[in-house]
Amino acid sequence: MISLTPDSNPGAGLLERKNGYSEGMVFALILLAAVADWVPVRWISGEPKSLELLAETPMNCLMLEEAHWSAELSAAAAGRGLVTLGVIRPGSDTAAAAGRAMAARLNGVVLEGDFETEVAQYVREGVGKAGGTVIELSPRGAVPFRDAGVITGTSQGVWPGLHAQEDGAVRAAPTGTPWVDTNTGFLRFARAATSATIWIAYEPPKKGIIQPTRYIQAICDAALTGARWIVTLDGEFARRLLARDAVALKTWREMGAYLRYFENHKEWRQYEPHAGLAVVQDADSGALLAGSILDMVAVKNTPVRPVPRWKLEAESLKGSKMAVSVDRESLTPEQTEVLRGFARAGGTLLSGPAGWRFPAARRDQVTMGKEDVERLDALWKGVNSMVGRSNLGARLFNVSSMLTNLLQGPGGKPVVLHLANFSGYPVENVTAQFPDAYKRAKLLTPDAAARDLELYPTEDGTAVDIPEVPGFATLILD
Amino acid sequence: MRRREFLGLLGAAGLSAKEPPAPPVAVAKCPSYNEDLNTVLSTMFDQIGGLSGFVRGKTVTVKLNLTGSPGDRVEGRPPAVTHFSHPKMAGSLAHLLGRAGARRIRFVESCWATAGPLEEFMLDSGWNVRALKNAAPGVEFENTNALGKSKSYGRFRVPGGAYIYPAYDLNKAYEDTDVLVSMAKLKEHATCGVTLALKNFFGITPASIYGDDTREDEPNESPTKGRVEVLHNGRRRPPKSAPQELDPASSREAGYRVPRIVTDLVAARPIDLSIIDGIETIAGGEGPWVRGVRRVHPGVLVVGTNPVTADAVATAIMGFDPRAERGTAPFLTCDNTMRLAEAVGIGSTDLRKIEVRGVAIDAARFRFRG
Repeated sequence: MISLTPDSNPGAGLLERKNGYSEGMVFALILLAAVADWVPVRWISGEPKSLELLAETPMNCLMLEEAHWSAELSAAAAGRGLVTLGVIRPGSDTAAAAGRAMAARLNGVVLEGDFETEVAQYVREGVGKAGGTVIELSPRGAVPFRDAGVITGTSQGVWPGLHAQEDGAVRAAPTGTPWVDTNTGFLRFARAATSATIWIAYEPPKKGIIQPTRYIQAICDAALTGARWIVTLDGEFARRLLARDAVALKTWREMGAYLRYFENHKEWRQYEPHAGLAVVQDADSGALLAGSILDMVAVKNTPVRPVPRWKLEAESLKGSKMAVSVDRESLTPEQTEVLRGFARAGGTLLSGPAGWRFPAARRDQVTMGKEDVERLDALWKGVNSMVGRSNLGARLFNVSSMLTNLLQGPGGKPVVLHLANFSGYPVENVTAQFPDAYKRAKLLTPDAAARDLELYPTEDGTAVDIPEVPGFATLILD
Repeated sequence: MRRREFLGLLGAAGLSAKEPPAPPVAVAKCPSYNEDLNTVLSTMFDQIGGLSGFVRGKTVTVKLNLTGSPGDRVEGRPPAVTHFSHPKMAGSLAHLLGRAGARRIRFVESCWATAGPLEEFMLDSGWNVRALKNAAPGVEFENTNALGKSKSYGRFRVPGGAYIYPAYDLNKAYEDTDVLVSMAKLKEHATCGVTLALKNFFGITPASIYGDDTREDEPNESPTKGRVEVLHNGRRRPPKSAPQELDPASSREAGYRVPRIVTDLVAARPIDLSIIDGIETIAGGEGPWVRGVRRVHPGVLVVGTNPVTADAVATAIMGFDPRAERGTAPFLTCDNTMRLAEAVGIGSTDLRKIEVRGVAIDAARFRFRG
């Protein structure tokens, strides 16, 4: 039996109650950020004093394991304007756990994993009645893109970074450039599929020492597409951070600076892709899997606009010069006609092989199978050949260790180029060539003050030389 | 036995009828690319006779060493500080050539797996192409991996009989030039032991003709692969339009073929100036695809008018014997390209005959092994 009122907490001997909360706590709740602005972190301690570590960071939403649920921590968090959410995973008595979370005066719960629909619905209703919030982090294949709340997300992220072989060398991908393990393909598709705020969970590898730059990369991999990584520390780092180790604190501050950089530019999350290449795809054609066509395009740093198949119409291809239809067999006659119209109007269209359908993915499938990759290889070679040296919004040079995202604001302005550097070192002398003429280029980074860069004309448009990309950089073009 | 093999045997036995040339080589210590490279290089050029008389009014072609994909990196570092030519070296050279009166300065490389513009390959390597273009009047770029800006290939015959191919079809940039420069990196090489000014010229071969995806009859003007099948292993032939191998029954071993092909190429298209950059480089191989390579910082430059003498001095600086035979490091599984080149009279490997100007070999030595 679920019990979801804060009054059920016998330890809450507080003052006057209003809906179960003290006036002080109600005031504190008012201070809490809007749900869409919650910046999540898996918190590493149940000690109220540990919250001091969050003071200089934008992390404002604590995801707590049950061992850390307590009214004392909740009150301390609320006093600091921090949200507390209890993490519940499948396998336990979900309703009872939700009740305990609300009894501990948490602000809600996170259902992390693959829950039965009825159970999730029951918890949503119960927690909602108690004034709490439920966030669902589903398997990739079960994210409710068409019916998402304010926040949606997945518990199945891939720890991002350059894919290293055993000897430390990097392997060559089909593109001949180093392969970056990334979630951006999934996140680009998610961004196109829903306007909800997207959270994604991935954990540091259990083995080895995690370098500070890997945490920066973890933040940037999600933020590149406007999503939020649920900040998750490895055990050793968490231990050193709680012990106020100077090196750990330095990394923590740097992580905070990067998170703040993205939170200071919330408007970027609403920007649309500025891309001459459209990829028509859906969950059943691999859009949600790591290593899909979208990831391949991302590694190639070609500006791309994912078009979920159910959103395919003439308007969704407007501005595209090229389109890839991954799974032609799954198109409706109307959708096929949209693509034909695109080609008739001068667009270049590349379709997956006739008679071939993308193998059905499991709900919990995260990465492409080897056979799937081989099947996609011919299509990928076709995409590579089709794109060639075309400038589909931006051509970027010296970005082999980076992932990028080209976006545009309302009405097409400004154009924003994000560059996430996975090399572990600042990369010097990146060049960006654009087919359009721009008058002003401004470079923003989390590490330094904004500065104007010189734009110069090229045969086909304009170009800019970016002197250095640290962990992340953003070029604003007007 | 072909004439070239016979000459090689005579050379190995010290019985050559004609002594190979042994012009002086300049060596300098240079700890960083942030040093005044103009002054360092200018001094070195003066030590070997000066640039002006050499390049005034001439077209100078500079073969860079940009081996492999620009995306392949050692420890994520810019390729210029590991296994590529450095843009500051190229910029300084362009500046000095321009100052010495060169009419046209053309940078060339057969860019890995592409026929696209060299400028874009440079940009992908982190070069500031605009700065390089402005370093002197008349700076040009050409990717020699295919036809490039020309309409036909030049045919370069190997004088006095060749080791592997009687002639090579190359981009016209190597024909349309007065002074040819090999701007190399001081590196070991998995196939050839070392890669210096001589071995750098393996890269003048276009993959359109000598690449793994070349065609049966004609060049493939859109190459997307390397040159392993045709040149390294001889498992396939270049297109019928190109000169064919002299002896298809000869060894298919890369350690036999590549040193000989390099010697053929340098005999067919002689190198006029060799510049070997050992300021920052890698040890253990020529690129990140070789397991176990590591970054090193020898802080040394070598310049000479003869690629064999320059390579011999550079090899000695690396801690190796430039006259070593196959089976001795660094030529454990290959023939020594310098000895092959010496045997056909290109230059001497005998350090007793090569005058080293500037810094002595012992003072510049940086052991790549041990």
